[in-house]
Amino acid sequence: MAEAFGVNLDIFIMPAHVTVSVWNTDRAHAEMSQRKTASCGISFDMNTRLSQLSWEVADNSLGLPAAVEHFERIKATKPTGKWEVLILTSFANAAFCRLFGGDLFAMLIVLVSTLAGYRLKQIMLEDGRDIRLTFLCVSFFSASISAGGHIFNIGSTPELALGTSVLYLIPGVPYINSVSDMIYRHYLCAFSRFLDAVVLTACLSAGLCAGMLILGLKWF
Amino acid sequence: MMWNDFFVNILEDGFFAAIAAIGFSSISNTPRRAYLTCALIAAVGHAIRYVLTLPELGGLHIIPASTVASFSIGMFAVLFASRIKCPAEVCFFPALLPMIPGMYAYRTIEALLSCLYHTREEVFSHYFYLFAFNGLTCAFIILGMVVGATIPVFLLKKLSFTATR
Repeated sequence: MAEAFGVNLDIFIMPAHVTVSVWNTDRAHAEMSQRKTASCGISFDMNTRLSQLSWEVADNSLGLPAAVEHFERIKATKPTGKWEVLILTSFANAAFCRLFGGDLFAMLIVLVSTLAGYRLKQIMLEDGRDIRLTFLCVSFFSASISAGGHIFNIGSTPELALGTSVLYLIPGVPYINSVSDMIYRHYLCAFSRFLDAVVLTACLSAGLCAGMLILGLKWF
Repeated sequence: MMWNDFFVNILEDGFFAAIAAIGFSSISNTPRRAYLTCALIAAVGHAIRYVLTLPELGGLHIIPASTVASFSIGMFAVLFASRIKCPAEVCFFPALLPMIPGMYAYRTIEALLSCLYHTREEVFSHYFYLFAFNGLTCAFIILGMVVGATIPVFLLKKLSFTATR
């Protein structure tokens, strides 16, 4: 893309900032800019559109004003509908319970606890609550609901319902990204993403343990 | 195990992994047109891991099994990415999500909390063992998965980087 604009560029990525240096091919003039990265969450849809934009610039010689206009449109991309995500995630977690060997009752318990927990997550994040507090409360909520299966002896695998009820909160993409950064030798970014993911895992684990402790269940 | 049961179990594993992949990927705003491809790739990858870890077929350890399964996920992702005009990463990230060792991850933290709670040496050692076991297994499964899925991106560099062209 830089080649299409007749410049060279280098990008320096830090956990919360990005630095871009651009210089023209005869090295007569250079510009450098540092910005805080936007906290817009993970969006594979935006990634795809940005990748398409870069090829449009490279192949179709899209000018800078048109590219900037296209970029602004990408920034305004709507996220997946919240009800769609809520339902798909709930079914996904119920399916996940089945993968671990849970029976139909365990799957139903996980479906209900995920529906309730994920809705709480959406409400808390919309209210601007801290993500760590959200993870703690949501995992406590989901674990407490799914512990019902254990307490009332519903089905033959209530322990699996309890164990898998919080798995939708595991920050899978940051874990994968962290190792991916490590492969590309972006060690600081890798460490930062890994710590972020570990903190969220610790919060969800603490919520789960608190739920089990209050309901008098043993966790090992 | 009867061959009939064996195939039903593989199909069942793939089917539920596909549902899990679609659901978990929707949290990260995956484009809708990628759902079916991601689901199919996740189903194949998870079923491969299931077969490799079966005791009747040698019972490969979960770390190498996840690496091999992720390599196949990476291969399929690179091959199918250009059909749906998405980067290969958009195909393989969602497909890897059902294989993320979530239970190992939170059991590591649970074991750590138990370590702090118990002060008697043998009980502490037991929970410290669980902490190390779960933590190491989790870390190496993820490492194996990402390395396995990234190799095809480098092997088929041109194909994977021009998927959205």
